[in-house]
Amino acid sequence: MAITFQPSAYSGLVDQDNGMVSREIFVNADIYAEEQERIFTRAWLFVGHESQIAKPGDFFVSSMGEESVILCRDRQGEIHVFLNSCMHRGMKVCRYDEGNTPIFTCPYHGWSFATDGALVGVPFYKDAYHEELDKSQWGLIRVPRMTNYKGGIWATWDENAPDFLEYIGDFRTYLDILFDGWDGAEGGTEVIGGIEKWLVPSNWKFPAENFIGDRYHNISHRSVDLVGIGPSGQGRRDTRERDNARALDISFPERGHGTIVFLRPADAQPVPSYQNDPVIADYFYQSEIARKERQGELWRILGGPGTIFPNMSYLPRQPRSIAVWHPRGPDQTEVWRWFLVDSAAPPEVKEFLRQYYIRYSGPSGLTEQDDMENWNYAHAASRGAMARRHHYNYQMGMGHAVTDFEDGGLRIPGTVLDVTKARAGEQNQRSFYTRWADFMAARDWDELAGWRRGNGSGSTC
Amino acid sequence: MADIVNLFEVEPGQTIRLHSDATAEVVSNPRDGVWLFVRYLTSPDDPEQVGAEDMVFAQDVVELLTD
Repeated sequence: MAITFQPSAYSGLVDQDNGMVSREIFVNADIYAEEQERIFTRAWLFVGHESQIAKPGDFFVSSMGEESVILCRDRQGEIHVFLNSCMHRGMKVCRYDEGNTPIFTCPYHGWSFATDGALVGVPFYKDAYHEELDKSQWGLIRVPRMTNYKGGIWATWDENAPDFLEYIGDFRTYLDILFDGWDGAEGGTEVIGGIEKWLVPSNWKFPAENFIGDRYHNISHRSVDLVGIGPSGQGRRDTRERDNARALDISFPERGHGTIVFLRPADAQPVPSYQNDPVIADYFYQSEIARKERQGELWRILGGPGTIFPNMSYLPRQPRSIAVWHPRGPDQTEVWRWFLVDSAAPPEVKEFLRQYYIRYSGPSGLTEQDDMENWNYAHAASRGAMARRHHYNYQMGMGHAVTDFEDGGLRIPGTVLDVTKARAGEQNQRSFYTRWADFMAARDWDELAGWRRGNGSGSTC
Repeated sequence: MADIVNLFEVEPGQTIRLHSDATAEVVSNPRDGVWLFVRYLTSPDDPEQVGAEDMVFAQDVVELLTD
């Protein structure tokens, strides 16, 4: 029998006081359906990258929750995001992954739409509609809020959502590491290669919480460390930049975002990486020097895996990539992974990174295969009637996070759990599920934007 | 009756005859198999259309007049 959850029930499913989360939120079909309404129609979602639609007429078919959307650049160069559904009978008007076109034509009855969304072609308009159809009212549904932040295109269906920069708040410090050039120059990244897409038999929240800061699962990747999939055969990443760094888990419970960070010592200097090839090594070394000059103290922050609530995760250093965990039912996630490089990098650097990315991430990547196995079997083993009676444990490091973390005069934004000695914590995951419960219970953005009322920003979970 | 015109093979500059008996020059082809962008050359039903650009639906294309 289906269980119907009232909004007030969600705080019970996420027990913040005791660090426990019900398995129901991962496996229950009713909760999944509510997520589509309460989270995916209201949150800012990552849609694609500007470099994918560089020319007028370029398009990329993306997804917002379960909904297919078209990201495109119109003839005037303006970027739009549209619901990929014909206004006549709902057929997908674009069934390609990407391309360039003057119009999107519905294959069902032939209605066609310009790249600015306007309905421009209606078969038998004169004879069957007697020219009485008001075309101006039947254009593609435009996603009402969209922003281009340093090349990343984000959108939300909720007209009342805060601006994107307010949505991410001080998490911007960490997101910038992903989108800025390796030398710290603003923006300057582009997508390389195609978008890898594959299905994982797991709820979308498993990978989202994994990437928000699960250092505890490093044991899963011991085999790739032993094999040495790094470019020179040393470990996974082939760099010593994390040596002597402090390990910080950083989250924003009032917003749901979180990341792993490594904080270099105040007297740290750039270290060489990828020394098997002098061109590659020189590019990254010179870029590090430039970044240090440009960023000053902020250069000490080395970004690690992170998640922007709800379903965009990223790796800002290497392998530099973005993943979106598209929900495809409670028991399935469609993963899309974008790979980023510096636009200005020499071709040999881009090719070097492309090879490394493929080896590390995606369905062919050795590291990501480890993760998928975990999510797959964890989900399957949580679906049974007995299994779902028992909560997951998220108690690691409870009560040890602070909101005023400072090191050598550098203030670190967010709720910070120093795990340098502990090596792992679950504060970021608790923040993620705290926000999940907020979204599931809140009626609107007046309630969700708790930081405007001074609520939640000091929470340490 | 003329054969069905395969719109994927129609090139800009070619001339088509329409269901309304109008003729038009193909300006561009989005190659969706459904629409053509055209400029009217003749239009017995509506002479004011001559010179105007329009989108033409596949089922309104009767035949290709030029190869």
